[in-house]
Order: sequence, then structure tokens, then C-alpha cells
Amino acid sequence: MTTELGIAVVNGIFAGSVYALVALGIVLIYRASGVFNFAQAEFGTTGLFAAYAGVVLWNLPYWLGLLFGLAAAVAMGLATERLVINPLRNSSRVTLLVGTAGVALAAIGIQFWQSNEQPIREMPKIVEGVALQPFGAAITWQHLITLGVLIVVALALAVFFRSPSGVAIQAAQQDGTAAELVGISVRRVSMMTWAIAALLGGLAGVLSGPNLTFTAGHLTFGAGAALLPGFMAAVLGGMRSMPGALLGGIVVGVIEQLGSLSLFGYMSGGGEMMLFFFLLIVLLLRPQGLFVRKAVAA
Amino acid sequence: MSDSEVTTEIAAEPLDGAAPETTQETEAEGTREMPPVVADQVDDEVAPFRPSIVGWLARGAVWALLAWVVFAIPGNYFSPFELGVSDVGHASKAAIFAIIGLSLNVLIGYTGTISFGHQAFVGVGAFVSAYVIVDMGLEFWLAVPIAAGVGGLQAALLGAISLRLTGLYFALVTLAYGLFAEETLFGITAFTGGEGGKNVPRPLGFENDYTFYYLCLAFLAVVLWVDWRLMRSKGGRALQALRENPRVASSYGINVKVYTMYAFIISGVFASIGGALLAQQSTFLVPETFDFELALIFILMTVVGGLRNRVGVVIGSVIFALLEEGTLVHLLHLEGILDSTIGLPAEFFGLVIGPILLLLTITRFPGGIGQQIAPLAQWLRGRRFDPHAGKVREVEVSDVRA
Repeated sequence: MTTELGIAVVNGIFAGSVYALVALGIVLIYRASGVFNFAQAEFGTTGLFAAYAGVVLWNLPYWLGLLFGLAAAVAMGLATERLVINPLRNSSRVTLLVGTAGVALAAIGIQFWQSNEQPIREMPKIVEGVALQPFGAAITWQHLITLGVLIVVALALAVFFRSPSGVAIQAAQQDGTAAELVGISVRRVSMMTWAIAALLGGLAGVLSGPNLTFTAGHLTFGAGAALLPGFMAAVLGGMRSMPGALLGGIVVGVIEQLGSLSLFGYMSGGGEMMLFFFLLIVLLLRPQGLFVRKAVAA
Repeated sequence: MSDSEVTTEIAAEPLDGAAPETTQETEAEGTREMPPVVADQVDDEVAPFRPSIVGWLARGAVWALLAWVVFAIPGNYFSPFELGVSDVGHASKAAIFAIIGLSLNVLIGYTGTISFGHQAFVGVGAFVSAYVIVDMGLEFWLAVPIAAGVGGLQAALLGAISLRLTGLYFALVTLAYGLFAEETLFGITAFTGGEGGKNVPRPLGFENDYTFYYLCLAFLAVVLWVDWRLMRSKGGRALQALRENPRVASSYGINVKVYTMYAFIISGVFASIGGALLAQQSTFLVPETFDFELALIFILMTVVGGLRNRVGVVIGSVIFALLEEGTLVHLLHLEGILDSTIGLPAEFFGLVIGPILLLLTITRFPGGIGQQIAPLAQWLRGRRFDPHAGKVREVEVSDVRA
């Protein structure tokens, strides 16, 4: 039982680092545009498909392929902001939500279409092989790299939000009109936020993709589904706190893995069950989030 | 739309005699009597429009054509096309999707809450009805009410715990519920039959694909009628008030929670009926049918159809049902053109075009198909053809509550 629990926790932490990357993007966009971005995971899948095209189909060097994947994700984020979010800025939040869901579905449709000949694909890992085996859980180098990138990203975001651009973003998020009055272009800030969020989504995609084979919609409802866990992580952080989202991602990853314990061995979808009830409990008991701080979190 | 119909009809009647009188009176006695308020609503229509005989004949011809398309063609009556079994199967599916679209319309259109878990509602209906028919050996006519009851019950349960949350958080819960149902509930092999799927026999007299289509059509008609009557009831009017402004509505004594719950349960019942039919329509029922993608397509077809517009929702649902698997493309013989120009295979047409239609709908034409066809719909009801009909603020998606 202890070993099993250990495996679940270790696997959960590494799965959770992907969720945390997605959740960070969701929180950023929620703070900037006040919308639950259902396309966040699709930024990842699009980046993954682009990186796959670069590395496998065009035989680019791996780092160039990754760069291309991230660029594709950022381009998609900017296009979403320009074509969907900006025209709808005065509509209600639910309309915006439907809009982002539409973006996600459009991306999924194009992925299905483009991967028609070979629906299941496999992205090579950055470094092949297993790094360590705590409790017998196989931790690959890819997992370690993902966790490392998450830490670097978190630190970089913390530094960025203290730089002038970062402060401008926070100002625009708190009061758009006041920010305009002191000379901050809300339009540019909004685009910058979406670009950063899409970059985070893209990172989640290109880093988690090689763990499994992938199909269209991989991060939204495929094998590597990170959309719902990402949202839950963001909710745990009260939708506004970035450190909260980060921690939330790890917690959600572990909780989801607990569903795979042999306790629930006779049923399928234990992870989804854990997530659903956990979300209900959190939203009903502490809708403001588990890890919320009073001050504006960086 | 039907509300505006009523007001214009009322408005038109006194205008016959009253309009000249009021103008005389206002000249003579100044402000003694307010002119009828209704007068300025119909200022573009001085006399009530009555179509000429030719006009009536033209309208009758279009109605007959519509009836022919809906009733005769799928049954191969008076029809030059010989429709095969699979084509009629798609027609049944279109009717079922229309029921599901109406169900989602109750939720998104009337209460302004959005459900990303509607595939679970439909799936519960499908599997309950399949279980009742196959494992309990009961009749289809008993299975549908049971499925509807269970569907209403699960909606009530989910609503009771989650309707405390509003807007975005509620959407999140429905998303989690959809995935939970898809993976966990439908993963219970004893209940759903698991990966192997289930073959659900059709009711006596409707085994045939052609007759089954008319069964689906009858259910659609019943759902349309119930939806129409419910929205005219006290509860329906309460929901309309609620959607406009929950705070004002509650200050008029409307219990927000109870009526949102009411809409939620109706939506669950409709979805389960659609699911029960879907279980019969697909000869082979597997849990994988009810995935998240299906939920997204349900939302797409409802919003593109036009919220709070029954005709629009039905048309939108039919289009999306036919777009799936490329039926519409095959029917119109467009697959060659699509394949040669942009290399888009017919089966992906719906997946690629659908979301683009959705984005266009919410950014450019918030009234959806319902608004686009409003001039034609007005004309068919014996009104003048007015290209600007339906451009009322009622039919906007943007007033969906957050």
C-alpha cells in the first residue's frame, strides 16, 4: 500500500507539473480577459503538432522543432485574442467562454483533418530513458525536464511581473481605464498576456506530448487531457493567484493519481471520479480557492 | 420571436379605425389624450398586411415543399430520390439532435447557464433506456419515461449541488461531470455493457429505419410542443424575467433557485429522451459515443441555430447532425470539389466548418440561423417579406448571463 501510494504521489507530481503549466496560462488569461479559456490546452496540442511536424516530418534539429512548436502556439494565442476575444470584449463572459470553446474545437477539427492518414503519432523525447525509480515508479528524463521547466517558468514569471511590462499587465488587469490614462496600451497588454499564456500552453504541449502517443485534441480530451485538471488547479488558486495555480496543479495531479489506487481497482475512470468530487467539494466549501493570499499575487 | 408576433397583432387591430381619429384629436385638443403607445411600434405598417391570393398560393407552395422535404422524402413517398437505409438513419439522427438542441436551448437560452456536460445527460438517457429494454426486458414505451425520469433526477441532483455556483464555475462543474460520467459512470460494465457495446432492439412497428424516422419526428414534435407550452406557462415567464435580470426578477418574488432548477430538470428530461432515441438509432451503443467533443458539438449547434429560437435551434441541430460524418457534403455532391481545392475530406467538413460558423455567429450574427431566416419565417406566417425582420435585441447571445 505504501509503495502504491508512493507511486501515485510521485506520478501525480510529475503529471501535475503539466497541469500547473496549463493552470498558469488559465490564471493569466482569467486575470487579463475575465474568461475561462477553454482553448488553453489546445494551444498545447497545436504546439505539439507543430513541433512534431518540425522534428519528425521536416527533420529539423530538436530545439528548432520545439521553437517552431512554441511559435505556432503563440501565433494561435495572438490570433485568438485578435479575432475572437477583442471583438467580443463587451459581451458577457459566457459568450467569451463559448468563443474560446469554438477556438478549441476549430483547432481540434483541423488537427483531425491534418492527421487523417496517421491518427496516432509519437513525438520523440528530448532525452530518452528512465532517470530514477522511486518506489518503482519510472521517472523519465522527460518528466524531470518538465518539472525543471515549470520551476524556471515560475521564477521567470515572478521576475517578469516585477519588471515594467509585468507591472503594466497587472495595472491593466486591475483597472483598464486608469491604466490607459497613465499611458499603458491595454490592447498591447492584452496581446502580451495572451502570447505569454499561449507560450505556457505550448510548453505544456511539447513537454507532455512525448510521454505518450498523441492524437488530435491530445491535451483537451485525449490521453494527456490537461484542460479540466488545469482548470481545477486554477480554481484551487482562486483563479487569480499564480503560486496558487502552481501548487494547485501538483495537488490535482496527485489527487487524480489517487483514483488509480487498487482501492478503486474494479472500476474504470477512478481519476475522473476523484477530480469531479474534489472539484465539487472545493467549489462548495472554499469557492475562493485553497491557497489564496490577500495581496495581489505575482 | 412569437412574442413580437402577438404584440404586432394586437397593435394592428385598433389601428384600422383608431389611427385617423387620434390624429384628428391631437390636432384639436392638444394633449388631452395620449396617442396609443402601440402606434409607434407599427409605424411602418399603416394597414395590416393581407397577402393576395397569389401570395397565399406562394406561401402554401413553400409550406407544401417544406412538408414534402420533412415528411415525404425520407419515406421515399412522391420522391424522385431513392434514399437508402443509411440516409434515413441520418435523418433520424438529425431529428434526435434537434431534440438535444432544444434541451440545451432551455439551459443556455432560457437560463443563461452553460453546460459542457450535455453528452452525459444524453448518455444517461441512452444507457438507462438500453438497460431497461435489454437487461430488464421491458417495452420501449416504458423505457422512455423511465429514462426521462432518471435524466430529470440526475439533473436535479447535479443542479442541487452545483446551481449554487453561477456562470463560469457552473460550466466548470458540468465539464467535470461530463468527463466523470463518460469515464466512470459509463465505464460500469454491468450498466452499459462496456466496450463490447449493446444492441438495443427497436419497438414493435418501428424496426424499419423508415418508420423509425417518423417515430423520432413524432418525439421531436412532442418536445417542441412541450417546450412551447412550458415557456408560455408561469414558469416560462419567470425564466424570461430571470434571464433579463435575476435581481429584479427576485425582487418581484420569483424564486431564482427554484426556477433555474426547473429549467435544468426540463433540460435533463429532454436530453434523456433524445438519448433514449439515440440508443435505438445507433444499432450499436458504446460509451465512447458520448465524449467531450459531442458536448462541444451540442453547444455549437444550439448557439449557431440561435438561442431562444426554436426553429433556428432545430435547423442548426439538423445541419450539424448532417455535417457529422459528411452526410450533407455527400448529399450535395460537394466532396470532389472540397477534396480537390483544399484537400478537405468530407468527414472532417463539419469539424472544421462548424467552429468557424460558431465564431462567426457570436462575433457577427449573434441571433444565429434563427435570425437569418426570420424574414422568411415571417413571410410564411402571412406577413410581408421584410429583409430586416428579426433584427430585434431579443435574439442576442450577448445577454447570456455570466
